[in-house]
Amino acid sequence: MRHFSASLIVAATLAAQPAESPRQVVEITAERFVFTPSEVKTKAGTTLEIRLRSDDTAHGFHIVGTDVDLELPKRGKGVATVTFTPTAGRYTFECSQLCGAGHEFMRGVIVATE
Amino acid sequence: MLPSSTVENYLKAIYKGASTLTPPHRLLPMGQLASALGVVPGTATTMVKALAESGLVEYEPYSGVALTAAGHKLAALVLRRHRLVELFLVRLMGYAWDEVHDEAEQLEHVVSDRLIDRMDEMLGRPEVDPHGDPIPNADGQVKPQESQTLMTCPIGAPVRVTRVVDQDSAFLRFVDRHYLKPGAAIQVEERDPSADSVRVRGEGGRLITIGTRAASKLLVQVARTALLLLLAVVPALAQDPATPAARGPRTSLSGYMDFHYNKPEFADGSLDFHRFVLLVTHSFSDRIRFVSEIEIEHALVEGGEEKGELELEQAYVDFLLSRRFNVRAGMMLMPVGIINERHEPPVYYGVERPFVDTVIVPTTWFETGAGIHGEVGRGWRYRAFVTAPLNAAEFSADEGIREGKQKGSQANAGRVGTTGRLEYVGLRGLTAGASWWAGRSGFEFRPRFDVPATVAEADARYSRNRFEGRAQFAQVWIDNADLLNDALTRRVGVDPNIARVLRGFYVEGGYRFIEAARFGDVGAFVRYENFDTQYRMAGGGIALPQFDRDAWMMGATYWPDPDIAIKSDYTVVRNRSGFIQVPNSFNLGLGWWF
Repeated sequence: MRHFSASLIVAATLAAQPAESPRQVVEITAERFVFTPSEVKTKAGTTLEIRLRSDDTAHGFHIVGTDVDLELPKRGKGVATVTFTPTAGRYTFECSQLCGAGHEFMRGVIVATE
Repeated sequence: MLPSSTVENYLKAIYKGASTLTPPHRLLPMGQLASALGVVPGTATTMVKALAESGLVEYEPYSGVALTAAGHKLAALVLRRHRLVELFLVRLMGYAWDEVHDEAEQLEHVVSDRLIDRMDEMLGRPEVDPHGDPIPNADGQVKPQESQTLMTCPIGAPVRVTRVVDQDSAFLRFVDRHYLKPGAAIQVEERDPSADSVRVRGEGGRLITIGTRAASKLLVQVARTALLLLLAVVPALAQDPATPAARGPRTSLSGYMDFHYNKPEFADGSLDFHRFVLLVTHSFSDRIRFVSEIEIEHALVEGGEEKGELELEQAYVDFLLSRRFNVRAGMMLMPVGIINERHEPPVYYGVERPFVDTVIVPTTWFETGAGIHGEVGRGWRYRAFVTAPLNAAEFSADEGIREGKQKGSQANAGRVGTTGRLEYVGLRGLTAGASWWAGRSGFEFRPRFDVPATVAEADARYSRNRFEGRAQFAQVWIDNADLLNDALTRRVGVDPNIARVLRGFYVEGGYRFIEAARFGDVGAFVRYENFDTQYRMAGGGIALPQFDRDAWMMGATYWPDPDIAIKSDYTVVRNRSGFIQVPNSFNLGLGWWF
């Protein structure tokens, strides 16, 4: 199954990460059909702790080209967290759970610079 | 009487101590208990005797102590509170995992069951805390875990760390430093008894040597038995954009439904299964997607009857080339107005869609065509499509351009329409946009003449905490409306009196005054609309006052789940006519999305 159960999101949260790398917390809100913010800027090598909350239905959060793909609980049902340490580059993220007619517009980008 | 924190600490220590016993031993020696609690054996014995009198433990002098069923449940509930508090502090309050134990030691005795249940729900009913310790459920039961330590797992087999049994801060930092937190995929390469050390190959191929004492505190699951966990855990390592992990084809099914009861004043009510919509999507790859939406309106479709409709509202392929530039072709929604692209029943107040989104913007407005869309940065995004035009022969005085939609059914493409939207979503909670549609729509008449139609629209939607406000303005221009009226009069014998300008706007405020309660959310709203399908007439036409309308709608929505809406509203429509009046109506609706 592509999406994780809530309990397994915990495991995702705790996935191994370099202890010494700088850390940046990013809070992203998801609602039909937009992530806010939809653009995240960081330095390469920084461990992003991405906290995702939905304002309506369940959404997905997939960073294209990576294995990061998790389900955001519905409004009021909690927060999904994932860590991601990018190398330099642009990483498109998108909603990976069909959430309505405008689902395909729900995208954003992580920009990691040297 | 509620147990004191001392009683709870004793029960918890016995619970934890008992988990280290191996059959046939079932009694925890008093010395071990006293040591765990940091008290002298005499003190522990006195307390244990009191617990035995309360029926919480079984005590056998000179042998030890065991929990009764009642004691076991109380101890498990203390651990449930402790572990949920730890997870809450880490996930929602930003604590590090090595600094939550002491806080939880305090809070585990004071937080109420109600608060703990809410935290549990908010966290998504987790099964383990940040250290991988299992969280008992509200009945005190724990899912059995099959784990080995790094001292007992097979050498060379891929394993995943599931739990760290020592909560000492220094040890947790050690684990963190060596990339051995729960979720880490590792394998034991070698155990060296002479050096009391274990060599582990961690993620990214790094080699770590740790002591046997540390190794015995790390529980792991062999990858084969932990397949689900292996599939789920996100490797939080840097990804190389040059070597993306491609995903295989995937197909999804979703849908929404809308069931209404409408009761106009002085008339019988009606029950209408207004919409039954299924969405099927398929990802050929991360770059190529197919999306479709099939709708049955009013439940029944009969050939040649004015009854329901079976419509293909969306069926397009998206070629996702970059964030800024993507290509779409097929049956598409026109990007005009709030509701047309965002019409799932739980996301808007009111049983029926706004009048402006019905008779000015002909929602649901879909057409065949192709175009581009993307996001240009700083919160700005766009879509621009070329589509089949509207058919002006179907325009009318009361519903404007609504019936002119060709809906992709052998649509005339002798002329084309263009449509687009520029949208700003750069501020949290705000979506603001402006849209247009323009096309020459008189293709059906002979001799042919042009009926250029233009729709301009602007809207904004803002939500913050429990409040949501939205506003929309739309205007339609029908050029050559006088020629259109003449041509239609010749065809049907009656002047349709189509206007050259139609206009409407609405404002709406809603507030969820009960939110995230155990039984769901409740909100109320009020909406004002002004719309006129004969705002400006063509030369010689006379605007009929019944088409100049105001509407007030107020009501409430109950969401037992964010994807289910039970709606009610009372709608008052007034027009400028002294003879033709629209009855007020009471409406109930049940809508859901899955």
